[in-house]
Amino acid sequence: MEITVLVQTTDRAFEILEKARDEARELLYSSAKLTSETKSLVEKREARAIFSDARQKRLAIRNFIITTFVLFAFWILLSGRFDAFHLILGIICTLLVSYLSHDLLFANIRVGDIRIRARRFFAAGPWFLGQIFSANLHVAYLALSPKMPIDPQIIRFKTKLESDISWVALANSITLTPGTITIDIREGEFFVHALDRKVAYDLSTGEMEDKIAHVFMEADHIYIQDVLDVSRIFGALK
Amino acid sequence: MNIFLLFGMGLFSLVFLCLYRAVFGPGVLNRIAAISAIGTKALVILLLMGFIYNRVEMFVDISMVYALLNFIGTITAAKYLEMKGEL
Amino acid sequence: MISITDDIIIRAVARILIPFIQVYALYVIMHGHHSPGGGFQGGVILGASFILYLITHGLEEAKEKMSELKAGLLSTFGILLYSGIGLLCLIMGRNYLDYGGLSTILKVVPAQARSLGILGIEIGVGITVMAIMFSVFFDISTGGILPEDEEDLGVNR
Repeated sequence: MEITVLVQTTDRAFEILEKARDEARELLYSSAKLTSETKSLVEKREARAIFSDARQKRLAIRNFIITTFVLFAFWILLSGRFDAFHLILGIICTLLVSYLSHDLLFANIRVGDIRIRARRFFAAGPWFLGQIFSANLHVAYLALSPKMPIDPQIIRFKTKLESDISWVALANSITLTPGTITIDIREGEFFVHALDRKVAYDLSTGEMEDKIAHVFMEADHIYIQDVLDVSRIFGALK
Repeated sequence: MNIFLLFGMGLFSLVFLCLYRAVFGPGVLNRIAAISAIGTKALVILLLMGFIYNRVEMFVDISMVYALLNFIGTITAAKYLEMKGEL
Repeated sequence: MISITDDIIIRAVARILIPFIQVYALYVIMHGHHSPGGGFQGGVILGASFILYLITHGLEEAKEKMSELKAGLLSTFGILLYSGIGLLCLIMGRNYLDYGGLSTILKVVPAQARSLGILGIEIGVGITVMAIMFSVFFDISTGGILPEDEEDLGVNR
């Protein structure tokens, strides 16, 4: 009787021990797996960090060089003296300023686009001048007519532009056009004060926004213009 | 009579209209806008003075400093009012 | 404490304008003997560019470019440059700030030595004026209490 009880208890004890051993083994396995996984993850993240670090450093160096060239051109424009002493002074000064503020001038501009942008900017210039001229005439008519048929209103619209520099360009060209003033930009939403209904209507057609988007290579216009360029090159090749 | 002198005197008389707004104008914002407009007019008058004295390259430098400090001064005043909470 | 402005127009315009203002300020300092300007005027413009950065980008970012410690060191360095050149003239046997005495060190004729000497003086004056301008604005805008001091003093603002 006692012997059978003893055997049963020892059996159960062995069972419990085996189960515990299995669980411990599973735990060990899973922990080993976890550590290997985390190890690979950490390695991957480190590699990515090194990669992005190098890319950022390259970007900073490129910004530094381009800022130096732009500022040196500005220095030449200001100075107008071409003897060695003043040119060396200019190089030293532009290097100093580029070191101080190389992250400011070209903060989020892809450098390769600058030439295309400059060409499109000068191509769009006459259109803006014509727009300003016609708006000037309209505002002069409003101010000089004795009844003064103004209808001031604040209009708000959501823009399709994305970068801050194109927002600023759009806001400044709206302000430069007589009769409209940009009050605020809040997360891509423009608040514009317009002098009368016609000016507000001209603004809401979005022609100016399209021009800006074309100059800064944004939104849908990239694709249309790119397709046109490519088709021209393709035709020339044929 | 020099045409630059004539235009300069016209602008100088316009400065007084802005000065009226700067002294008696109701509220701070009117005053800031008036001071900014006076700065812009002073810049143009300086350039015209350069033409009168035949030293344009010298007066361009001065007017540029005037434009920069005018811009920074306006922004500083606006920032001060914003921080003080008077708007 | 001045925080970063939420107006995107002012931030972007200031970002683009600041390097040009700094180059212009250095041009005014360096060409003081050919055109109007000089050390003091250029220093004021250079200080104004840093003040513009402080206003538009906030105290936290501005401290990376120009801190109070840097401003203090730069102001004393400018005065050191000024008085150093003056004393050098004194050592060479001339009067204080008589740049003609520098011609034997620089190995140029006295007239050119005068030109170079006054350039050094103006650089010193410009650095000092820039640092002091920034330091005065920094002190006034923070009320003399830096953000890291506020926790120690228990000031709520």
